[in-house]
Formats: sequence, C-alpha cells, structure tokens
Amino acid sequence: MAFNGNFMCTSFKKELLSATHNFTTSGGDAFQIALYTNSATFNAGTTAAVFGGSNNEVGTSGTYTSGGPSGSTSTNTLAAASSMPSSSGTTAFTDFEDKTFTSATITARGALIYNSSAGAGSNTANCVLVLDFGSDKASTSGDFKIVMPSPDASNALIRIA
Amino acid sequence: MSASLNFELPQHESVVTVQTTNNRGFTPEELAQDCVGKIISVSDTALPGIRDQARAFERHMEKVVAYYMRQAIQSDRTTVYNALMDAGHPELAELIRRL
Repeated sequence: MAFNGNFMCTSFKKELLSATHNFTTSGGDAFQIALYTNSATFNAGTTAAVFGGSNNEVGTSGTYTSGGPSGSTSTNTLAAASSMPSSSGTTAFTDFEDKTFTSATITARGALIYNSSAGAGSNTANCVLVLDFGSDKASTSGDFKIVMPSPDASNALIRIA
Repeated sequence: MSASLNFELPQHESVVTVQTTNNRGFTPEELAQDCVGKIISVSDTALPGIRDQARAFERHMEKVVAYYMRQAIQSDRTTVYNALMDAGHPELAELIRRL
C-alpha cells in the first residue's frame, strides 16, 4: 500500500454538480487537511477522509490535530487564498493559503483535503483531493509546511478550464 | 474540438511542495522566498530581457520582505516582553528580549 499520485476525487466532481461544496472565502465551507503515512492508499475513488492511526493518519503533534474534523476552528482548517474563487480568461479556479503546522514532529507521505462542512453539514469528511508529496517528508520539533501552488489560472489547486 | 471540461490534477507531478524544519522554525529569508514566489512569477520562456529583470526584482523583493519580517519579529518580541513584564515574569521577559 502506498500513495500513487495526486487525484481529484470522483465523488467531489459529482458533488460539485449537486452544489455540495462552497469555496467562497467568506461564508463558504470549511476545508481541512489530514496527513498520512505511506501506508495509506487513496485514489480518485476515495470518497471520504478517514482518520486515526488505524487509518494511517499521522499522530497529533504541535499544531497538527489527528482524528478528523472538529469544526471550522480546527487547527487543520485551510484558509482560502485571497479573493477565491476567481477566474482568468476562460478558466475558473480556487486555491488555499500555505498551511504550516508548527512545533511538530511529523513524517507524512501525502494528504487528503476534505470538506468538513459539506452541504452545510458539520464534521463531514467529503474528500476533495488526494495529494502525494512524492516522498516521505519529516519535521522534528519544527515546522511542517505545505506550500500550495500560486492562485492563478495556470497553477491553482482546483481549476476548471 | 473537445467539449469536455479539463478538471484533473497531474497525477505524477508535484502539485504541492512540502518544506520542513528540525528543531527550529522557518527563517525570515526562507519565508520571504515563498512570499515573493506567490507575488511574482515569470516564465522560463519569457523574453530574456524581461525574464532577467523580473528575476532581479524577485531577489530584491526577497530582501525587502525578509527585512520587514525581521522587524515584525523584533516588534512582536517587544510586545511579548511587555506582556510578560506586566504579568510579573521579568526573568522570562528578559529571556524573550535576548532571543
């Protein structure tokens, strides 16, 4: 079992067509990130994030909290990049700010981004993206920073062209 | 002409990058590099004159941003120092001041 690349979850695409996800910066849904070891297996067919050590999520350390959604105030919540969603030319896009977990001892191979308030629910885990870091990334009593792509039509994390 | 929407992630290319530190946080210089990367980007295929000028501007901006980050850190330490003094922890305040 291992990560095998980045995926836009098929369930997410379907849920977009039923207005389950709201990426609006102000008043939109809360999107969170969960980190996993390379023992996790996720792909486009992943529909919901799973949590805890038995599901290969990394443990709580520093500002990273293992165990799943706990509301929009969770330290695992991603901040939307400024003025998202946006568009340029014929491409619409949205993106998140970089996420840093501080004072953390973490070894992770990949991540899931999920919607913790999908469809105006609470503590949901509807999967959006599977992210493969390419190799194990480790911090020891330091910062673990996920650098998101530039929020533009050529690079943003989620683009509809 | 394809009528479908292009809506996939590149499966085997880096979509995000991960930066980590051991036993410290990021330095202002490291953060300034990321900050400027979000503000300014220039294509490798841009006209050489424009590309070189943009890259020179990037390097200059990194120095400016890092300078003000260091200023912010020092200023915040002043705030923390005074908060600790007000709370009756002068030794801890002094430790913060000397960082």
